[in-house]
Amino acid sequence: MRKAIKIYAPFSINELKRQMAYKGAFYLFILISTFGSFISYYLWMAVYGSSESAVLGGLTQNEMVVYIFMTYVTSTIVTISISDWVSEDIVKGTVSMNLIKPIDYRMSLIARAMGDMIYRFLFPGVIIWIGLEIYKVQVLGMKVTGILTILTYIISAAMSFLIFVLFDFCFGMIAFFTTYIFGMLMAKEALLSFLTGQLIPLSFFPAGVQKVFDFLPFSSMIYTPVMIYLGKYSGSELGFVLLRQAVWVVLLYALGSLIWKKVTSRLVVLGG
Amino acid sequence: MKTIKRYLRLYRILISQFFKVILQSKVDFFMGLLGFFLTQIFGIVFLFLVFQQIPSLNGWTLNQLIFIYGFAQIPRGIDHLFTDNIWMVAWHTVVNGEFDRYMLRPMNVFFQVISEKLQPDAVGELLVGSILVVYSISKGVVAVDGFHVLMFVVSILAGAVIYTSIKLFFASIAFWVKISGPFLQAAYEMADFAKYPTEIYAKGIRFVITWVIPFAFVAYLPAKYFLISGSTAAVIGIECGIAAVFWVIAYALFQKGLSVYESAGN
Repeated sequence: MRKAIKIYAPFSINELKRQMAYKGAFYLFILISTFGSFISYYLWMAVYGSSESAVLGGLTQNEMVVYIFMTYVTSTIVTISISDWVSEDIVKGTVSMNLIKPIDYRMSLIARAMGDMIYRFLFPGVIIWIGLEIYKVQVLGMKVTGILTILTYIISAAMSFLIFVLFDFCFGMIAFFTTYIFGMLMAKEALLSFLTGQLIPLSFFPAGVQKVFDFLPFSSMIYTPVMIYLGKYSGSELGFVLLRQAVWVVLLYALGSLIWKKVTSRLVVLGG
Repeated sequence: MKTIKRYLRLYRILISQFFKVILQSKVDFFMGLLGFFLTQIFGIVFLFLVFQQIPSLNGWTLNQLIFIYGFAQIPRGIDHLFTDNIWMVAWHTVVNGEFDRYMLRPMNVFFQVISEKLQPDAVGELLVGSILVVYSISKGVVAVDGFHVLMFVVSILAGAVIYTSIKLFFASIAFWVKISGPFLQAAYEMADFAKYPTEIYAKGIRFVITWVIPFAFVAYLPAKYFLISGSTAAVIGIECGIAAVFWVIAYALFQKGLSVYESAGN
């Protein structure tokens, strides 16, 4: 374990440093990335304003505000697209360099993603989170989120991160078959924003569809931690959703190993 | 006249290249199309799910909102199809000094920039837009007569010009700051606000998307005119006016940028 940390920690630290170096553009991108949240904020306010019942999809108007912005915070720290890096390595052929080094390629990617995650957690994650808590108490008159809920949220979000990067690693393998990554990434992002509950809480879907979502890993990526944060699970249900996340971590890890073994056994890289 | 003929001939040659590209990499074409198609279609599924809960949104019915949403995609798709290469100016061409090659040829520089690439991904947007517009027409929420059809064509063309102008304006900033991609992206993404009735937003946001970066005139405001019992045709006139003004400003900035452009390297 200690040896592993010694090998992979530099990947995290490097990524962290790299992110720190390109701050200028990053501020603007943060601004852009909040546009979507503000559009949904105003849209939902209008929806609740036009509705006769105070609760829609199991959420009150105030809870929806929390849902929108916690979804933003969670997806910012969780959805680190390592498939970008994988596909870049594959298209350029540098993936072969990673095969001859005595390190696990996937582990190095995850370590790198962790560096990215820490940076995004500090900026803008925490800032928007604190802003939301202040808004919640001052404007909406809700209670501050309890420390136990926050801790559970963090554990759940950490597992979400693993589920996402392990899934995304498998997804990145598609680059072995097509080189037009941009379109592929857009299709992925569109699908994920829908299946993870980023676009609309999964509780708005018909019951049958929700059943299907229960058997997919996507709801464990963003929806679960956010609902934990909202205090929607308690007791055995809370234990169940956390366990389900853990199971997905293991399953996706195994799946990734399997695909990686299959793909690298027939890999041909030109040049050298 | 002779010049126009020459440019048209050049453009025809470039378009035939574009079809070769599609035929050569069908998977890429399909992927890009699918990406844009899915992004937009999920926006509609979102509306469907929301309308399971409410009868109308600020007085708008689902079918009306579908028309506004679909209508917004068409000028966007047209601009995307024809002028996607402007993004490269903002991100790469100027900073890498590759802009030199445009300056050396005896041809209009703007024409060279946009004719270098057609973006097949845009077909995804145009497809979604057309499907939604046809759907909402079939539901009888849109006014269909000779004059409206004519205005429809005028409006989507003016809308596409507004899109192009905004892109060209922010891309031209690259001549001074080298990379203007983030600014362009920030402006471009504002367009998403105009997919919904702008009355739902706070005053500040509404002002910005109506008068500063006028995407409301590309999507929501003209769309309202085509809906039965919508606003007057004057809105299309204003849209054309805005398109003309923004085009003149953006093109002037682009020309000014060309005069200050200096290549990278030695």
